[in-house]
Amino acid sequence: MPENSEEQNRTEKSETAQERQGASEAEASAEDVELDLEGLDLTVETVEERISPSETNVFDK
Amino acid sequence: MIQRSDDSSADPTREVPKGAEAFPVLLAFPPQGHWTQPHLALPCLKAWLHQAGYDAVQQMDLSVEAFDHFLSPAVLTAARDKVRERLPLEGFDGDELRLGSMRAWRAAAESAVSADALIDGVEEAKRVLRGQDTEVKEERGFWNPDRYVPATRTLYHGLRLISAAHYPSELTPHNFTMGYSNENSEEVMAATLDEEQNPFIAFYRDEVLPRIVEQRPRVLGLSVLYGSQLIPALTLGRMVKAALPDCHVTMGGGFLAYIGEKVMNVPAMADCMDSMIFHEGERPLVMLCDALLRGEEDLSEIGSLAWWDRRGEGPARSLRNAPAHPIKLDSAPPPDLDGLPLDKYFSPELVIPYDVNRGCYYGECTFCTLPTVIGPGYRTRKAETIADHVAVLRDRYGSTHFNFITDCMPPGMIQDLPERLIETKAGITWWADARIEPKAYNENGAKRLHESGCRKLLFGFETSVKRLLKLMMKGQSLKSVVEVATNCTKADISVTFYAMVGFPTETREEARQTLRFLEEHRDIVREVSLQTFHIDEVAKTYKQPDEFGIRVLDAEGDLALYHDYESESGMTQEEAAEMFEEMMASFRQNLPIFSGDNIFYFMQKSHYFLHLAAGTTPDEFVTRCVERTEARSARGAEDGLTVSPALRSLPLRFSHSDAVRTMGDPLARAARPDFLTGRFVADAEQIAEEQLKPLQAAERVLLYDSENGEFIEIRGDGQRVLDALQAAGSLGKLVETSRARGASDEAIEKLQRFATELHRLGALRDPSRAADGPVTRIIYPAKGSDSPKTQAKGAPHHA
Repeated sequence: MPENSEEQNRTEKSETAQERQGASEAEASAEDVELDLEGLDLTVETVEERISPSETNVFDK
Repeated sequence: MIQRSDDSSADPTREVPKGAEAFPVLLAFPPQGHWTQPHLALPCLKAWLHQAGYDAVQQMDLSVEAFDHFLSPAVLTAARDKVRERLPLEGFDGDELRLGSMRAWRAAAESAVSADALIDGVEEAKRVLRGQDTEVKEERGFWNPDRYVPATRTLYHGLRLISAAHYPSELTPHNFTMGYSNENSEEVMAATLDEEQNPFIAFYRDEVLPRIVEQRPRVLGLSVLYGSQLIPALTLGRMVKAALPDCHVTMGGGFLAYIGEKVMNVPAMADCMDSMIFHEGERPLVMLCDALLRGEEDLSEIGSLAWWDRRGEGPARSLRNAPAHPIKLDSAPPPDLDGLPLDKYFSPELVIPYDVNRGCYYGECTFCTLPTVIGPGYRTRKAETIADHVAVLRDRYGSTHFNFITDCMPPGMIQDLPERLIETKAGITWWADARIEPKAYNENGAKRLHESGCRKLLFGFETSVKRLLKLMMKGQSLKSVVEVATNCTKADISVTFYAMVGFPTETREEARQTLRFLEEHRDIVREVSLQTFHIDEVAKTYKQPDEFGIRVLDAEGDLALYHDYESESGMTQEEAAEMFEEMMASFRQNLPIFSGDNIFYFMQKSHYFLHLAAGTTPDEFVTRCVERTEARSARGAEDGLTVSPALRSLPLRFSHSDAVRTMGDPLARAARPDFLTGRFVADAEQIAEEQLKPLQAAERVLLYDSENGEFIEIRGDGQRVLDALQAAGSLGKLVETSRARGASDEAIEKLQRFATELHRLGALRDPSRAADGPVTRIIYPAKGSDSPKTQAKGAPHHA
C-alpha cells in the first residue's frame, strides 16, 4: 500500500479485493516480513445510520 | 343553463358538458413520496372524474418513475462522473475537515468507494424488491433478509450517489431537501430553475415532458401531500406551462392545505401554476374541468379554488373562492389505479390504498392538525360499500393486500367491517391506523379483525404520562392501551404505536418514562413510530399557547408554516431533539424489528406487513429478527476466512465514521433543512461550526462490499492485514505464518478480533461454509396460495 494516502486519493478509484490480489501477491513476501502484528491498530468502525423523524412514516399516509 | 353543483352522478342537477369524455386531463404525483405502493389521492380523483363523465384522464406517479430512472446503471454512471467532477476527493487536502465541508467530503468518499458496485448491482436490487428476480414466488429474494437487506441498501446508497451529484440536495426514499429553504418563496422559485441542484429538471425535460406534450392535457393536476414535493411540483408546473401555454396547471394536497394561502400571495407562483384546490379535490376539480371545457375564464364559482385571474391588463391577480361542500364519501367510486406504473413500486405484491373514511370521528387531540389537511367534518363509507369496493379492486388489480387509509375507525365500524369482509369472503389482508377503543378491540373483536384479514394496526399512543395524555386530550388510559395491544397481539395482529417526544412541558424524565413503558411492553408493541413535536400555524398549541405554557416565536420566511417556541417548563426544542435520539437509540437496542438492519422492514412502508400477509406471525417475524442478529454475532475468526472478492477499499484522509457521527449531532442537523419544511434555523450553521470540532487528518480506509452493502472503516494497518490475508490465502494460514514468525498470543488474538468483526460485517467470508452468507431462517409465503396461511416454525434454513 502506498505510503502517501493523498496520492492515493487523487486516483479517486476504489479497488476490489480481486483487483488488489495481484499487487498483494507480488508484495507478499515483503509484506509478510513487515507485518508486525504487535504494533498494528486494527480498529474496525461502522456507524449505525441515524433514523430521522422523516423515516418513521408518521405523516406518510 | 347548466347548473353547477355536486358535479357527480350522485347529483342529478349537473349536466355533463359536451366533450367531457374526450377532454384530456393529466393527474401527476410529483417526487418525492414513498416508493413501495401507490398514493391514494390521484386514484380517487381519477375515479371521481370518470364518474362525472371525464374519460380521458391519465395519471402518472412521477415519484416512483423518478426513483426508477435515477436508480438505473446509466443515470448512476453519469452521477458518478459528475461527483468526480463536482466533488473531487483531492479537493479535500487540508489538515482538518470542518463541518461545512463534511457532507460534501462524505458524499465524495462514499461515491468513490461504492459507485461502481452500485452501478453493477442496481438492476438486480430493484428486481429483488419488486419480486421480479424469479418467477417462483416463494423463492423471491424479497422474503430472504440476506438478499432483501443488501438490495435495499443498494437502492438507498444509489440515491446517495444521485444526491452527491446534485450536492447539497438530498434525495432519499423518505425525503427530498435542497440547499434552498422551503420557507422562503424566493428560494423556492430559484430552486425550480437550478439544474445543478435540482435533479428533477433534467428528469422532467428528458423523460416526462415529451410524454406530456404528446398527450396535450388541457388540465394538469399535481398532488402536493408533503413538503418534499413542493419544489418538484413547482418545477414541473413551470416547465409544463412553458411548453403548453393552454394547459391549466392546478395543484392541491395536504401540504398545500397548510401553506396554500401563503403560496397564492406570491406573484411569482403564477409562473408555475394557474390555480390551487384546498382540501378535498374531487368536487372542485370536476367543476374546474367543466368550466375550462366551456371556455370560461371566470373561475370564481368553483368552491375551494384559489386561482390566478389573468383577465385584463397587468399581472395576474390572486383570488380565493369560498369553500366547497365535502362530497358524500359513500357515493364516491373506488379508487382507479389504471395507468399507474404498478410494476415499478418497490414491493413484490401490490398493496392497494383505499379510504374507508375521511376525517376523524374523535377530533379532540390538541396536537393534531390533520383536519386542516383533510378538510372539516367526518365522513365514512358504509361497511357494505367498503366490502363491495374491496372485491372490485381485488379482482381488477389481482392483489389481496390493502392499506385502509383512515385516521381511525369508530367502534361501530371496527365491528361491522370485519363481519362484512368475512361474510363476503373477501379473502384479503389489510392494515390501518387506529385509535385505542377498548370496547371494540376486545378479545373477540380482535379475533374477528384477524379473521377478516387485519394483520397490523397502528395506534396513536403518544405518551405513557397521564398528565400529558390529559393535556393532549387523548381520552385514553394506559390500562386500555395495554388491553387493546394485548388483545391484538393474542389475535396475531401486529401492533405499532405512534409516540411523541417534546410535547410542551414534557420533561426528560417523562420522556424516559414513556420509553421504559414501550420497552417493557415490547412483547405487545412491535414497532414504535416516534415523532418530535412541531407547532404549525393551524395547531391549537399555536392558537392558544397559554394553555400549554409556551410562547410561540415568530417565523421568518413568507411560506413559513412551523414555529419555534419557548416553554415555561419541560424540555427545550433542542433537548427534545436530543431525547428523540436517545429514545431511537434505545429502540434500536431493545426492539427486535429495530435492531441492526432489520429496521429496513420498519422503514419501508408495507414490507413487514407483506410478511404478515404471507402467513408469518408477528412472533415468528420477531424471532427471525433476533435470530438474524444473533447469527451474525455468532460468526467468529474461522480459519477458512478470506477477503470477500467484492470488497472495495479506498484510502481516506479523514475518518468517515467520525464525520458521520459529527453530522449526526443535533447541532449539525439543525444546520440542515428541517425534514418537514425544508426550513433552515437561523444561525444554526454558524453555531454548529463553532461548537463541533473539525476532524483532523488521519490515515483511514473505507471498505464497501456490494454483497453486504455496508460502509466499514478500518485503519491503514487494517488494510495491510487484509493485503496479507489475501496473499496468505486464508486466516488460518496467516495466523500460522504469524505464529511462526514469533507473534505473541495477544497479537494473534487482536488479529482474530479484527477478523471476527469483519466477518460479522461481511467483509470476510468462509467459502468452505455454504451457510456463511445467509444468517437467517427464512419463512416463505405459503406455496401456491394468495390467501394468508401461517407456516409452522422450523422452516428449512436457506443455503
